[in-house]
Amino acid sequence: MGVGVVLLFMPFLGMSYGMTRQVMLSLMLALIVSGLNLNLGYAGELAMGHIAMYAAGAYTAGLISKAGVTEIWIQLLAGALVALGVGLISGIPGLRLGGWSLAMTSFFLILLVPDILSIFKESTGGRNGLTGIVPPTLFGQLMSEKQYYLLVVVVTIVWFACMRNIVVSRHGTALRVLKQSPVLASSVGISVFRMKLTAYALGSLPAGLAGVLFANLDMYISPEAFTFTVAMTVLAASVFGGSASIYGALIGAAVLQFGMNQATNFQEYGLIITGLFLLSGGVLFSGGIAGLGQNLVRKLDKLARERVGSQLVPAATAEVAPIQGARLMVESISKSFGGNQALSQVSVEAKPGAVTAIIGPNGSGKTTLLNMISGYYSTDEGSIALDTEEIHGLSSYRVARAGVSRTFQTPNIPEKLSVIEAVEAGRYATERVSILQAILRTPKFKRIRREDRLEAERVLNLVGLGEQRDSDADALPLGNRRLLEVARSLIGAPKVILLDEVASGLDEDELDVLADLVNRLRDAGLTVVIVEHNFQLVLRLADEIYVLAQGTVMAHGTPAEIERNPRVMEEYLGVINDADGSNLIGAGND
Amino acid sequence: MTIIWSGMAIGAVYALVAIGYNIVFLSQKTFNFAQASLMMLGAFITYLGIVVLGLHWWLVGIGAAIIIGAIAALEERIAIRPVKDMHNLLVTTLGASIILQGVAQLIWGGEPYRVPFFAGDGVVEVLGGNVYPVEIALVLVVILLVVALTQFAKHSLVGIALMGMSENREAAQLRGVDVRRFAFLAFAFTGVLAGAMGLFVGPKTYAVATLGASLALKGFVVLAIGGFGSLSGTLAGGLIVGLAEALASRYIGADFANLSVFIILVVILMAKPTGLFTRRKERTV
Repeated sequence: MGVGVVLLFMPFLGMSYGMTRQVMLSLMLALIVSGLNLNLGYAGELAMGHIAMYAAGAYTAGLISKAGVTEIWIQLLAGALVALGVGLISGIPGLRLGGWSLAMTSFFLILLVPDILSIFKESTGGRNGLTGIVPPTLFGQLMSEKQYYLLVVVVTIVWFACMRNIVVSRHGTALRVLKQSPVLASSVGISVFRMKLTAYALGSLPAGLAGVLFANLDMYISPEAFTFTVAMTVLAASVFGGSASIYGALIGAAVLQFGMNQATNFQEYGLIITGLFLLSGGVLFSGGIAGLGQNLVRKLDKLARERVGSQLVPAATAEVAPIQGARLMVESISKSFGGNQALSQVSVEAKPGAVTAIIGPNGSGKTTLLNMISGYYSTDEGSIALDTEEIHGLSSYRVARAGVSRTFQTPNIPEKLSVIEAVEAGRYATERVSILQAILRTPKFKRIRREDRLEAERVLNLVGLGEQRDSDADALPLGNRRLLEVARSLIGAPKVILLDEVASGLDEDELDVLADLVNRLRDAGLTVVIVEHNFQLVLRLADEIYVLAQGTVMAHGTPAEIERNPRVMEEYLGVINDADGSNLIGAGND
Repeated sequence: MTIIWSGMAIGAVYALVAIGYNIVFLSQKTFNFAQASLMMLGAFITYLGIVVLGLHWWLVGIGAAIIIGAIAALEERIAIRPVKDMHNLLVTTLGASIILQGVAQLIWGGEPYRVPFFAGDGVVEVLGGNVYPVEIALVLVVILLVVALTQFAKHSLVGIALMGMSENREAAQLRGVDVRRFAFLAFAFTGVLAGAMGLFVGPKTYAVATLGASLALKGFVVLAIGGFGSLSGTLAGGLIVGLAEALASRYIGADFANLSVFIILVVILMAKPTGLFTRRKERTV
């Protein structure tokens, strides 16, 4: 912000026009880079089409200016909208596959810019460029050079404020979760495709704005300004400044813009330098210059925390409110992978206010069953219902939104988030707040943000991680990571919770916290499903046990029945004891 | 028919890029953005050898294969191996590609150079169309290459190891396959291929520094049509892209050549995002 204020007054401090022009060009570049950052840094998708959106904004402004609409606000609005349209058209097919498809479809857009301009030669001037743009007006008044400069600075400040509000809001957290693991994102009810498309579409807005500003700067635009080389400069600026950073875009853009201007040989060596930026940026520091600074701050933070120290507090302080659980009915589902029959005719019923355990040797289909319930695999046969609502065939994020929450066998914890942020991510789908509300910081947004925080603290206390709320989530030891996952799965007020081998890696104290918590959740009315190797724990907690073997339900009953079941004892209990034993050793080592 | 031949030939060039993508994709589960730039350099080396130095064509082919193979090997060491995050590979291979393009521009400038074809540049008439010998050669070479690589993958030990790696890296490693070495060799091989193919690609596309970007994209479209990891799919993909481009350019206008390819890409990605010739795999958690 401080930099913005200084920039605002620069022309009044006697800065030459050449200099202000460079500043304006840097700011426009920064706008485009910022749009790219939203994709590359936060959503984790490489998109290169921002130059095409920049061109779309510029030509929109140029054409409507020639048509007599010189009011700059209208032009900015129109340019942003057209850029948004281009973003949606190229984003939808590209994001179907993600990764390389988006990179390529968006890259292709750049190649198309001169062709499309040439097709509409009469109005765009084709390869010769568009001339005759009328100087811009503001509220009917012709803008002076200084006013125009101020406008560019103000637009940039406004966009970066919006960008910051998005990034620090729960949407920003959701994007980071998504970048880390689409599987995790959908397990907390985030639609992967929609979220990525949103990021891509949002990222096209600043590019469109920059285009409008550019068109009105020189009153002349040509395809020369929207080439592959320019696109690479944008990417290099993003990587240099740090893609996963808000203000890094400004630094990167300034360095590349002024660098290009200073180095006389840049025309010749430009591509090589840009390439080196990308190469070294990708290899050496994934956070860019801004990342280096942030790392320093994070290290300092961590140092301060370590001095204070952390310890486990008993979970008794936190309360569990009554929960409306739902009956989970899995009816004769089957699944095969290639020729391998993973599950055949499996039926499981989990009642609210009860703990249903699923046990079985490795490869018996336990995790497959959970994955089918959560919608990661499609069912070949059979049905899955929540009370009366059919949930099989729904995509995983919809299953999550229907009230099925889960933990993962290997804890899935996003990087660079604090414990409390990682837990808050689980609340994304529970109470919705739009991105627009996040940008404007409306009262509803603030209320929900407060609730997110309170709820996160409550569930962290429930699992006994209250003290670690500000630690790095991905730096926690295994046992704590599991408990963090439990907290995350509880925060979304689920009706059913699926715990996948949640006890392995926990020490005795943590195991007690967990067992106590499961009991209290059951008493509160939640439907709890646990998949577990630890037979003693299962006997202690479960109200009903299903024993899976080779993809079928081998036995089913109360703990007492299962313990006495001759088949389980004969064929299976030996195996369980072994697995159990190895588990205990594993827990000791952790 | 002239148009068809020319379209098939350019399609064959795109298919060559896609074959390079595929080999790297199968061995490392990643893409080498610089594949097309390696081919661009291959065309330049061929030009250098045949026109400037006046060497014999087969000598030039071998030389280009060695040089580009070495560049590819270098790229693997610098831009791929040290990178830990898969996301960053997009950026680093793109960076490598731009450096190659920048170097080519620095040495040879932006002008295209004509590369003569060793079997002659006279127009011949085949099946009622005028065609250059190199165009026929390109189509034949690509078909032969796909057949040879497919047989290699199915029957040779190295090929089987490679396919195993693409299926499951860890399992292959446990079976005693030196995964990193194989990946490296496969990567270097795509460079050798790109260099040797300069003999055929150069005369068709000319040696020009900006070749990389457009080849990279068209190669990707071929891959999207043919399916990721499918070698035979590249033939069909190349045919479709080459013909679409040539026909659009001839009958609608040169400005529509790229646009028509883009529309094909969009339609394919919307309708069958895994490609026309591959089976859908289920995602695992």
